[in-house]
Amino acid sequence: MSRQLPLGIRLRDAATFENFLAAGNEPVLAALQHSSEVSLYLWGAAGTGKTHLLQAVCHQATAQGRRAAYLPLAEPGLHPAMLEGMEQFDLLCLDDVDAVVGDPDWEAALFHAYNRLTAAGHQLRLTASVSPAALAVELPDLHSRLGWGPVFQLQSLNDTAKRQALQQRAGARGVTLDDEVAEYLMKRCPRDMVSLFQLLEALDEASLAAQRRLTIPFVREYLGRQPGP
Amino acid sequence: MSDSLWDQCLQRLQGELTAQQFNTWIRPLHAVYDSHTLRLLAPNAFVKERVESNFMTQIAAIACDLAGLSVPIVTEVGTQALSDTPATPAASPATENPSPAASDEPATTPRSATVTAQPVSSRNTSLNPNFTFDNFVEGKSNQLGKAASFQVGENPGKAYNPLLIYGGVGLGKTHLMHAVGNMIVQQKPNAKVIYLHSERFVAEMVKALQHNTINNFKRFYRSVDALLIDDIQFFAGKERSQEEFFHTFNSLLEGGQQVVMTCDRYPKEVDGLEERLKSRFGWGLPVAIEAPELETRVAILMSKAQLSGIEMPSEVAFFIAKRIRSNVRELEGALRRVIANAHFTGRPITMDFAKEALRDLLAIQDKLVTIDNIQKTVAEYFKIRVSDLHSKRRNRSITRPRQIAMALCKELTSHSLPEIGDAFGGRDHTTVLHACRKVEELKEGDQRINEDVSNLLRTLST
Repeated sequence: MSRQLPLGIRLRDAATFENFLAAGNEPVLAALQHSSEVSLYLWGAAGTGKTHLLQAVCHQATAQGRRAAYLPLAEPGLHPAMLEGMEQFDLLCLDDVDAVVGDPDWEAALFHAYNRLTAAGHQLRLTASVSPAALAVELPDLHSRLGWGPVFQLQSLNDTAKRQALQQRAGARGVTLDDEVAEYLMKRCPRDMVSLFQLLEALDEASLAAQRRLTIPFVREYLGRQPGP
Repeated sequence: MSDSLWDQCLQRLQGELTAQQFNTWIRPLHAVYDSHTLRLLAPNAFVKERVESNFMTQIAAIACDLAGLSVPIVTEVGTQALSDTPATPAASPATENPSPAASDEPATTPRSATVTAQPVSSRNTSLNPNFTFDNFVEGKSNQLGKAASFQVGENPGKAYNPLLIYGGVGLGKTHLMHAVGNMIVQQKPNAKVIYLHSERFVAEMVKALQHNTINNFKRFYRSVDALLIDDIQFFAGKERSQEEFFHTFNSLLEGGQQVVMTCDRYPKEVDGLEERLKSRFGWGLPVAIEAPELETRVAILMSKAQLSGIEMPSEVAFFIAKRIRSNVRELEGALRRVIANAHFTGRPITMDFAKEALRDLLAIQDKLVTIDNIQKTVAEYFKIRVSDLHSKRRNRSITRPRQIAMALCKELTSHSLPEIGDAFGGRDHTTVLHACRKVEELKEGDQRINEDVSNLLRTLST
């Protein structure tokens, strides 16, 4: 019997402020939503929601009729030239700044983009995995600018909040994730949010294809089919 | 009509692409629909090429589907017209000066009423009205620089020409430069004062050369009443720009027009700058700005806090000023951070609050917490060996530390429970779970264990 392929149409995991579980990060959320500061710098470990929040900022700006752009600097194949002309946006979001610092061309491009953007009175939102002080920036002019605006650290969620976030995400996808199933996943899988969300997406697709609910036996069977950790 | 077609395209694309793709490549595009052609304006050539190669087929198919007929689509590098963008708060005449690249643009591109598809040109010739002499905090380290700048502001072209302000990053060079410009404009509202970063000068010159409009470029910069050019060290190694700047510079000086420059060090020390420029730059008055001393740093903090309407206890100002010495920008950064944190948490600014908000600035390194690290720290703490933690030994002097180490691994890292079990001599995830529960239980009932765990947590997370 052939497995049914899941339909291409399903609810997208749109990143907004509403579907972000704050759990201790409320001040950061408030700052991102309401701050009129020219630059805000956000840092935290992988899976703390940096990308989600930047995209939410973009969403909000667009909804308010402002022009926004989002650049994931860790993505391979990008080039410093893509910062040219970016000052025309009311809001520029740069994700994973730590991926490009240390490279002289990127640093010069960032420095000039920063100057043009602030001269135009537009806003910059940055993220990295470390604080500005700990960033390995070679160009001192850039280094001092990155730490000029308010800096916020995103705290990792505790296990209860992680489970809640997972269930909330499942709910948004139209899937019910029972407490026991969520608990089961938390006990057996990497507990960072990126891995957990990826796993959820994979499970969702697998359950759609198999036309089965997300139960412990189903999850056990699915995990058993995957190459070991 | 036009907007709705593109808006509908956007909706469809948002559903078909990942959020990342959509936000990065599609959102920055600006659409114009004229004479049945959909023109997509990209902020730069890189985005334009990426859109063409990766998304064009999809966009064309969606547009065709929505419009019911095939829609010709062209991509260009460009921006919304100046009239569309809100005017800068500085309503000085300087902002109304057409930028040279814009006025030089060859009339080959047809222009619609709302959009010009020309290369993004510098509109940042405007002065920043927030940088004035009034809000420049004076101290021993910058007194001379301020006095000289003030005189130049009062008597442009006469007092000191050129005025060169030099010093390390974040000390207020740009602030003084804008203050000079603002003062000139205040006294003579129709004065043509141009501020730009030397990188823009280079970029505009290159553009003028490409478009064969170098004469307009020259005419423009030689017609200003005052030229303020920031960070001239960025001219290093760019010979053609140096040459052009040299001539502009000479022409301005001869005409009695004011030139103000900043540099991150004494120009003679900039490698890659021509000798004749180095000596010429030193003609007028080179003034150094140095890092502010403690009293000035405190004064800066207090004055900036006051400007933001914030009550800053002086002990907090002293605390921050003592810890952050390098430059004013970093000092301001610390202050902004404290203020923003206070604002968004609703907590008052106290010493403890400042320490917490600036934790990473003060401590710098955030130790990476790994399983290895935890095992080592726990073993040291209980005076046992790391290999004991991996072993099968089951006497209490070993099992307690092992359980505590496991619980700490669960709390401080994102490793899965099976992974943690593995790292402790191949134990099962249920053992890890049991250890975590056991430690919780012991913490409740045993003061000493509770203390041990807190001590270890502190060692590991600070």
